[in-house]
Amino acid sequence: MKRYALIIEEYACWGCRACEVACQQEFNPIEATNGVKYLSVWPDGPRLMNGKLDFIWRVNVCRHCDDPACMNACPAEAITKRRDGIVVLESDKCTGCQLCMDECPYQAIHYDAQRKTAAKCNLCYHRVDQGLYPACADNVCLAHCIYFGDPSDIEQKIIEKRKRRGGWGDILPKELRISRE
Amino acid sequence: MPEFRYSNIEREMEVYGYDSYVKSHCRMCHGGCGVIVYVKDGKVAKIAGDPDCPINHGTLCTKGLASAQLAYHPDRLTYPVKRVGPEASGHWERISWDEALDTIAERILRYKEKYGPESIVFGYGTGRENEAVIYRIANYLGSPNVLTAGHFCYGPRICTGIITCGTNPIADYENFPKCIMMWGNNVTISNPDEYKGEPFSLALDHGAKLIVVDPKLTRPAARAEVWLQLRPGTDGALALGMLHVIINEGLYDKEFVENYTYGWDPFIKRVNEYPPERVEQITWVPKEKIREAARLFATTKPAAIQWGVAIEQQTNCADNDRLLMSLMGITGNIDAPGGQVLNRTPNIVNVGQFGAHGALPRDQFAKRLGGDRFRLASRFAILQPKCVWDAILEEKPYPVKMLFLVSSNPVMTRANAKEVYRALEKVEFMAVADFFLTPTAELADIVLPSATWLEMDYIGDFWKRHGYILPRRKVVQIGECRSDHEILNDLARRIGQGPYWWDSFEQALDYILHPMGITWKDFKKMNYIRGEVKYYKYKEGGFSTPTRKFELYSTVLEKLGYDPLPGYREPSESPVSTPELFKEYPYILITGARLPGFFHTENRQLQWLRQLHKDPVVEIHPDAAAKERIREGDWVIIESPRGRIRQRARLTLGRDPRIVSAEHAWWFPEMKAPGHGWEESNINLLTDNAMESCDPAMGASNVRTLLCKISPERGDGDQP
Repeated sequence: MKRYALIIEEYACWGCRACEVACQQEFNPIEATNGVKYLSVWPDGPRLMNGKLDFIWRVNVCRHCDDPACMNACPAEAITKRRDGIVVLESDKCTGCQLCMDECPYQAIHYDAQRKTAAKCNLCYHRVDQGLYPACADNVCLAHCIYFGDPSDIEQKIIEKRKRRGGWGDILPKELRISRE
Repeated sequence: MPEFRYSNIEREMEVYGYDSYVKSHCRMCHGGCGVIVYVKDGKVAKIAGDPDCPINHGTLCTKGLASAQLAYHPDRLTYPVKRVGPEASGHWERISWDEALDTIAERILRYKEKYGPESIVFGYGTGRENEAVIYRIANYLGSPNVLTAGHFCYGPRICTGIITCGTNPIADYENFPKCIMMWGNNVTISNPDEYKGEPFSLALDHGAKLIVVDPKLTRPAARAEVWLQLRPGTDGALALGMLHVIINEGLYDKEFVENYTYGWDPFIKRVNEYPPERVEQITWVPKEKIREAARLFATTKPAAIQWGVAIEQQTNCADNDRLLMSLMGITGNIDAPGGQVLNRTPNIVNVGQFGAHGALPRDQFAKRLGGDRFRLASRFAILQPKCVWDAILEEKPYPVKMLFLVSSNPVMTRANAKEVYRALEKVEFMAVADFFLTPTAELADIVLPSATWLEMDYIGDFWKRHGYILPRRKVVQIGECRSDHEILNDLARRIGQGPYWWDSFEQALDYILHPMGITWKDFKKMNYIRGEVKYYKYKEGGFSTPTRKFELYSTVLEKLGYDPLPGYREPSESPVSTPELFKEYPYILITGARLPGFFHTENRQLQWLRQLHKDPVVEIHPDAAAKERIREGDWVIIESPRGRIRQRARLTLGRDPRIVSAEHAWWFPEMKAPGHGWEESNINLLTDNAMESCDPAMGASNVRTLLCKISPERGDGDQP
């Protein structure tokens, strides 16, 4: 069984938000006058930490949880977890009741007002199944901080990068793991 | 199952069924990044970064990714129009290209005959790779007046770079600096000409130590080894303080100083006026931190300075640039790998030659507006905008009767917007070339539809000083849009400049490339061309300056009647220079910080980008907000001695409580009335363009550091 993970090293994120627009480009037509957001970058801070002002960008996106609260909450069975771990929300089956949004501990599910359904990141399974990187992870990020691939390879890469930087930073990488055949 | 591979063009083509792809060169900012444009059914379907491009290595910013939303926007102008009602009435009528260009040509010839060619002012906004054609048509016409942002953006780096060391020194990320000093800049979200965020980021990942000079806590400042949170507008004093430490602790490169600099002794004398104790008082930066940063920068080799426009939009503009170059110079980092390189462009007809500056007659050169006052700018064909507004409004020193503005929105982007608006209303004839009917275009007589980068062939980064040129290949044709280059090529032939222009603009591209013995068709097959890479070139022939040295003491400025040594001037408006005013306007207002997605006034129509920033935002420290009864998200009235605007409050600890930071260039394309809300949140209703407030050499308007007061917009009856 080959494992894959989407890992975002938030320490390195500059808040340029290219990943957000890459996601928009993948899912919203060019002609769209409004669109739904699966991924968002937000400022955490500035705040005082140990007498020093600190500030970091965070990336919020579906965690594809092991035991997804959203899936259990959905009365329409529109949310399923694939064998490889990707949690998929099928908008065709969604009735728009928004129970999943209330249950998600990460506020990672949004309401698509046009289609009147819930919407979230399905980890670009339509791309991943075809051997393409998820839109946000396909070499868009100028900090090269969005990784997709074998989690132990990625961890090794991040460790090496941190060594070269001469510092580890205080922030552990966020990991969104899925596993695949 | 295919192997995962970044930017997998073949697989994208198969999976999405695209018909073709074109490799091109984005210009959503000044240009720079290589892109892959996927096409389906004759339309742009997807845009991605080109992994083979040496500038961006496949990464791409928000603006580049959203380019197709610009190209296909329903509000976009796709044919020429003439105004059929009063200014800003919004009444337009479609006309043909022939009628549009013949009308403009007839006006040019009429005003030239009656008032002289100097009465016709051509202009562009920030650099969009159209500057060479615009200067060319003006110079052959005999008009010395081309209105640009050059007085306070990039122009100062070019002018002071040339007089100090022959060209603009570029931070060399390719060779991984060991120390980077990011000064008034955040290259990870902005676009300072030669630079992109990705190579900067890579250099940090290779272990570069970071110093950040910024009044705001940016993410780079949070990540920095040393963050110098200075009082806005005191950059010059801070640089002098660092030079003081480096010189007095003997940390400078003695061999370089002895052999390759000019004016060391008077320079030391000037620097010694600024010991860290005094600099701390001026800048609010503790002297220990000044020493720490100076030592780190001077003792870590190689080191580079990431600089940009913020230090130029100040009263001390030219000297700020010269002081940062002095730091690069005396530490031995000039033209060193991983330091600050003086790049060579490929062997082509360069921007200056193509711009035909030599064709401007001497007596016409002498008529350049503001030429007597802003003598350094004038020498490099740069105007101070107020000189143009005065010539329109007061006809002094002579009348300006016509403006032709290409991709420029001065109502939003030049200081003292009210005066700009009055001038544009009054000028007898105005033509504009742009993507949309902007607040500026609404005042024009004729508006021409400009092509986006997706609709043109051009030599990308032709004008830059990073040493590369890259082919921008036309992907689609939209409506009747034409590139700025094609428009001016056509217009020039209609005003008798035929011998100097071409049957089609492709021949101009051939002309630019001809010294290399190649044509545009050859270049189109290439990825890029790079100039010769060579370091420490000064060791052979010296620097390209009058003394052949790195001029710490500028012989050129001395001849022009300026202080030959770089110094420090207080901002024209500050607690120190205008203490009386400060009592009424008790906050320092900084403006113009960049936002991902927008490029000055552009892109607020594009949904993918506007969703990143819905409203204009003013950042206020929570202590100041509490004092002024302002809550998070409130609309706030920001007022300066010139006017008042509204922006929405964001409370943040990342600024000094004495500072308020507001956004620039906000208009509201979604408001369909012709003004598009240009007066609501336009920061330039607050800025000052008095000649006395400008930098004396460059004429830079001081738009970055003002005084203001703030109050919540809600009435006094509302409970906070």
